[in-house]
Amino acid sequence: MNRLSKAAEVQNGLHSQGLPSPTLAWIQNALPNRDPLPPLLALIATVKARLMAADITNAVLDSSAPSFPANIANPEVKETKLERDVLVQVLDIDNLTKSKWEQVEELEAIARGEQTTGREMIRLPTNGEEEEELGYGSLATQNLSTARPGGRGGAAGSGTPKNSTHRLVLQDCKGNKVYGLELKRIDKIGIGTLNIGEKIIVKKGAIVARGVLLLEPSTCVIMGGKIDAWQKAWFDGRLTRLKETVGADIRG
Amino acid sequence: MRVLCVAEKPSIAKAVAQHLSGGRSQTHNSRNKYIKNYVFDYDFGQEWGNCTVTMTSVLGHITELVFPSEYKDWRHPPPERLFDAPVNTVISEDKTDIANNIEQQARYAQALCIWTDCDREGEHIGHEICEAAKKGNNRLQIKRAKFSNIERAHILNAARNLIMLDDKQVNAVSARIELDLRIGFAFTRFLSNNLKPLGGPLANLVLSYGSCQFPTLGFVVDRYFRVKNFRPEPFWSIKVMHRRDGIDVNFTWSRHRLFDRASVIVLYERCLLAKMAHVTKVQEKPTKKWRPLPLTTVEMQKMATRFLRMSGQQAMEAAEKLYNKGFISYPRTETDRFDIGMNLRDLVQKQAVDNRWGQFAQGLVDGGFQQPRQGRHDDKAHPPIHPIINATSSVLDNDYERRVYEFVVRRFLACCSEDAKGMATDIDILYGEELFHAHGVIVLERNYLDVYVYEKWTGTAILPKFSMGERFEPFEAHITEGKTVAPSYLTEADLISLMDANGIGTDATMAEHIQKIQDREYVATVPRTRRQGVEEEEFDEQSPAQGGRGGRGNRGASRGRVGAVVSRARGGGGVMEFIPTRLGVALIEGFDRMNFETSLGKPFLRKEMELKMKAVCEGRTSRQVVLNESIDQYRQVYFQSQEKLNVLKAACREYIFQNNGG
Repeated sequence: MNRLSKAAEVQNGLHSQGLPSPTLAWIQNALPNRDPLPPLLALIATVKARLMAADITNAVLDSSAPSFPANIANPEVKETKLERDVLVQVLDIDNLTKSKWEQVEELEAIARGEQTTGREMIRLPTNGEEEEELGYGSLATQNLSTARPGGRGGAAGSGTPKNSTHRLVLQDCKGNKVYGLELKRIDKIGIGTLNIGEKIIVKKGAIVARGVLLLEPSTCVIMGGKIDAWQKAWFDGRLTRLKETVGADIRG
Repeated sequence: MRVLCVAEKPSIAKAVAQHLSGGRSQTHNSRNKYIKNYVFDYDFGQEWGNCTVTMTSVLGHITELVFPSEYKDWRHPPPERLFDAPVNTVISEDKTDIANNIEQQARYAQALCIWTDCDREGEHIGHEICEAAKKGNNRLQIKRAKFSNIERAHILNAARNLIMLDDKQVNAVSARIELDLRIGFAFTRFLSNNLKPLGGPLANLVLSYGSCQFPTLGFVVDRYFRVKNFRPEPFWSIKVMHRRDGIDVNFTWSRHRLFDRASVIVLYERCLLAKMAHVTKVQEKPTKKWRPLPLTTVEMQKMATRFLRMSGQQAMEAAEKLYNKGFISYPRTETDRFDIGMNLRDLVQKQAVDNRWGQFAQGLVDGGFQQPRQGRHDDKAHPPIHPIINATSSVLDNDYERRVYEFVVRRFLACCSEDAKGMATDIDILYGEELFHAHGVIVLERNYLDVYVYEKWTGTAILPKFSMGERFEPFEAHITEGKTVAPSYLTEADLISLMDANGIGTDATMAEHIQKIQDREYVATVPRTRRQGVEEEEFDEQSPAQGGRGGRGNRGASRGRVGAVVSRARGGGGVMEFIPTRLGVALIEGFDRMNFETSLGKPFLRKEMELKMKAVCEGRTSRQVVLNESIDQYRQVYFQSQEKLNVLKAACREYIFQNNGG
């Protein structure tokens, strides 16, 4: 009894944070097995974290939770707008700015324990901690060298350059899938920074053009979270997928 | 008092004797036909006062390090014993008469003054001279002259300000010599003993190993595989063109290009839907193309391979001769900044008589002179390479010397002139949600470019007037399609850059290593061929080749898209590309596949060693510590290689005998 009423309180709490409501049954399940239960705010945080790590197609959300309109992926439709905020999860991410082969070469260099900054070949630390930013060695010639004292050019911080364009595969709670294209750069979107299974709320008013959801900071709220198994599978299979796409020998 | 002076080579001895004696010296022959002894009087000032001087020279190193004769056989004792076998320093067979000359002359002298080149090798040669002289007379006072060119005032100044030999540098070189000997011999014998029996082409080849050679070869093989494995991929972009005042203005997409057609179509359609483009930025501002930095050895070699139709090795040899004749300063330097105290105007003035660039030089003297830019490197030994006196092309011996001399002078004059100036116009438009950009440049003053013919800066068309906030309907917008292309094979300039960035060899020895891997038939060079049907050449922003490719105009391109048009024109012009032979591939693949932490084909081990040499020079570690550490490392690699020998053999069978079954 107590758990059910707590679940309802948690549901309200989540709702007031702008999140769609999970079913009471799911919330009860997600509550910790402790008696007495922790205070409400802590419970809400716990359940929210569970929600962010859950597969939302798996009877998590209330049947009234918003989902994509039925024809969302229809390429015949020139433009339409979302009428409600929709919670989605990330299934796939692709950096359209980089060729697949470029990504293959980067992955292989890292696998060999090497990376380059500019022309210099760097040995990666063997303890697995990757503090090394992906150095986009600028094509410095002697002319430029005075202008970049560190000898390292390009993308500071995140490792994803400013003008990158990513395409995501997004899925709503009903299992509908749609491409999400970065219309304007969203800093959190990047390979390695956006997780597989991560949750995003796409806001009402977001544009869908030719079956592609256009993402921009004003209509795209990244909620965090990930689904560990999916994330692992995605990364483990990434090199093979990239190579298959360009028709390279995947054994090598 | 009698002073014995010894230079590193005859030409320096002659020039120094000439300056110190004021042209009044007696010349005596020695037993060696190249070596003369010049006798004259000179006043060294407070140090030694008035002296009778004998000035002579050596021919580079006079001693070498060798293993005792019981290590002559390549198999017994086994090569790994060479890591800790005894070694002896002996006078090289062909240098005994030179050493004897020094020993004899030392007997009559009270002091010895070393005039070897002021770099690490020179310091060690100085040490070798001391040892030879001490055999004749071990009570000698020993000093060293510090100089970096053989211009008269500079030499006289050096003679009055003698310093001591630097033992730290001597020790660093002696460590390097010993490591090269042990490691080189051990692995060369290892390779030969184990691979020659495979027969075929391997039976008759010299299979040498060198700790610089292999990483150098590694770079070539690495690039070869990147080219070979490359997969082209299509990409799409949006181009917007607007015609105004009869000028076609091309706007490029801020996303540059995307590797997905459908996405580009979606974005393109939204541009068309918006119909009107909106000008969000109009900027007109002065721009410059920077004059080059003062010249270092590495830069000279790179430029020579790109623009002077010669290899780095040939350029170094020519520069060395020019230095020996007193036309240019010491050509082995890492310094790219001139000391503020140097009288550069004087050096510029000396070029004013030339009929090729004299007028330009005179212009600098008459007020155009600018203090050169300051680079960040200073080896504290030599200034950047610069001309000392003017040399007409008739006094130079061959075309290589002429070209290198001309380059050194033009580079120097360019350093001392003003940046080229222009006006750049930038226009940004928002078309739908997409950003596009147009850029135009007009060159206003060429300045240094007038003398520095190796660089170009081409202006683009003048952009017509656009106003901030203006809306217009673009004349044309369309989707373009292109394909990525493989990176190019390495050029010598690329290779030098890679070696430089990865600490393989010193600026003075890089060219030799590059030559060595060709002599050993590990790599071959072929003229670069122009590629056809390439819409766009931008494989990968990280590509090491980028800096080296295209040559002309590339520098402008990387600074502000200014030279973009020119940078497309790649290749041609006699640039050679490096391609590994099957043997080269087999060796590197073999070592890479053995899979230990640091393959011999990678630069890491050697770089560590090079850094240790530097530490010895700076007094942070000692020769013995470095020897022990490095020998241990390589010995370990040796044993691992022995254990996994079959991997190396398999690579040889696969690549050399094309036999995948093995």
